[in-house]
Amino acid sequence: MKIRKIGLVFIFGIHTVLATTSVALADNQPIGLATNAIGTLVIVRTDGVQQRLQGMGKVALFEGDVLKTDGSSQALIEFQEGIQVALNENTSFKLLSRWEKDKPTTRIIRMKEGEVWAKTTGGPKRFEVETPVATAAVRETEFNLKVQDDGQSILTVIEGVVQFGTPFGTCPIKTETISYGVRGKKCTKPAATDAKAAKSWTEAVRSIAK
Amino acid sequence: MKRSPLLLLPLSWLAVTLAGCPEYFEPAKIGSYALKENTPYSSVPSRIYVANESSNDVSVIDASTFQPVGSIPALNHSTHDLAVSRDGRRLYATNLASGRVSVIDTVQKETIASIYTGDRCHVVALSNDDSQLWVANIGENTISIVDTTTFRILGTIPVSKGPTGLTFSHDGRFAFVSAQGDKTVGVIDTTTHQLVKTIPVGANPHFLVVGRDGHVWGVNTGENDIYVLDPESHEKVGAFAVGDKPQQIAFAYRGTQGPLAYVTVGSQNKVVALGGDPKNLKVVEEIPVGEGPNGIWSNPEGTRLFVAHDKGNEIRVIDTGTGQTLATVPVGRKPIRVVVSR
Repeated sequence: MKIRKIGLVFIFGIHTVLATTSVALADNQPIGLATNAIGTLVIVRTDGVQQRLQGMGKVALFEGDVLKTDGSSQALIEFQEGIQVALNENTSFKLLSRWEKDKPTTRIIRMKEGEVWAKTTGGPKRFEVETPVATAAVRETEFNLKVQDDGQSILTVIEGVVQFGTPFGTCPIKTETISYGVRGKKCTKPAATDAKAAKSWTEAVRSIAK
Repeated sequence: MKRSPLLLLPLSWLAVTLAGCPEYFEPAKIGSYALKENTPYSSVPSRIYVANESSNDVSVIDASTFQPVGSIPALNHSTHDLAVSRDGRRLYATNLASGRVSVIDTVQKETIASIYTGDRCHVVALSNDDSQLWVANIGENTISIVDTTTFRILGTIPVSKGPTGLTFSHDGRFAFVSAQGDKTVGVIDTTTHQLVKTIPVGANPHFLVVGRDGHVWGVNTGENDIYVLDPESHEKVGAFAVGDKPQQIAFAYRGTQGPLAYVTVGSQNKVVALGGDPKNLKVVEEIPVGEGPNGIWSNPEGTRLFVAHDKGNEIRVIDTGTGQTLATVPVGRKPIRVVVSR
């Protein structure tokens, strides 16, 4: 009986250590790569150290990194799960994640400003883009999201469905529609749009990387 | 004929509904107490939860017997503030050093999610219907709004410098945020997420809590006093110096007297009970406690106080009728916050 008790305590202890480790490890394992920059992509690590990518390359990205482009730069990054994200000019975001028990890690980018295009490949993903006023959550999709100076967020879904949520409600935004997220309101009714035009800015940075 | 403003409410609601997306609509629920669908009704025993900043965990104590039940690793660093859901099944803990909120399943007694909210996330408050978690991030001067079902960050509200206290009004229409940097409390309209008023309150405002009568009470650790805000006018209506390092406030009864405001005074190892009109507060009682009283909470009946001691690493259970300590329970290192589930 005593041995059984000790065994249970041991298993519980191992479980606790593993669980703790799984969360703690998130900070020091690469979560993706910066693969291309037209102009310069600045990567600011959590300790303030900066790294730059100019042209093609493979710069490891970590949880907590802040990525920035200036007025004449664009960049492309890839998460290890198979999510591509392009940064337009004057864009800045932070790489984050959410851990949930018994689920794959959710990759999150928190946008401060600018415009991103994102596409998931190879099956459903757990991926979210946060803006000051809304969050776009996807599984399998391609979309473009622009954040204006006042935080207003413009989501264009190129293919698939994006759950576009504000604190006042969540809307499913479907292929070739556009929706706006504004502070203090729920997202607007989706309207038809030319989705291809919304991602035209990504052509150069994506074609060089191919 | 003069129309009642109440008659306009259904019309305005309809207008808002039609303006938004038709396929899926969730109106703002702040202020509602409606239960979510599929809410489990099995009872959860009343527990005392203590956030231990230096051991990065939450101590669990049986609220009836005052016996320790165990501790739950937060899986993050510098566990600081706590909020417990109305049904007692979820506990949310901020972790200052990680910038993350730990979501704890109180039935399984384990952390089930870790959500990054912002740099130096400090205090946390649940909306009145438990659907949203508001988290103040000192390092970014923002409030993060977390959906408690999906754990997604739904939005961020910029606030004044150094947000360190956060509470909602009884009707859920307003959130109050203390800002150490500019010595004020900001009032946020929860229907628009706009800052509608800024109230000067004194140096280094910190902890904020709403009282049983709806007044908002705050602590100025820089001026050694507490202050009271009127829930309607949002004006500062009272203040009282209680001593060096006032920390937190809870409300309870002393026999027929009350509700009284019980304030932990960190440097004097005592709890001061204040009574009377908020404009004319008086000391009703001073209760000597252990080293470094900080977090304080009362049971729902208002007959017991649970006081966390950040130097003594213990919780003391105090009978408000006699001022006597009923139990002393050891907890983790540097306990900051204590909450009790119903």
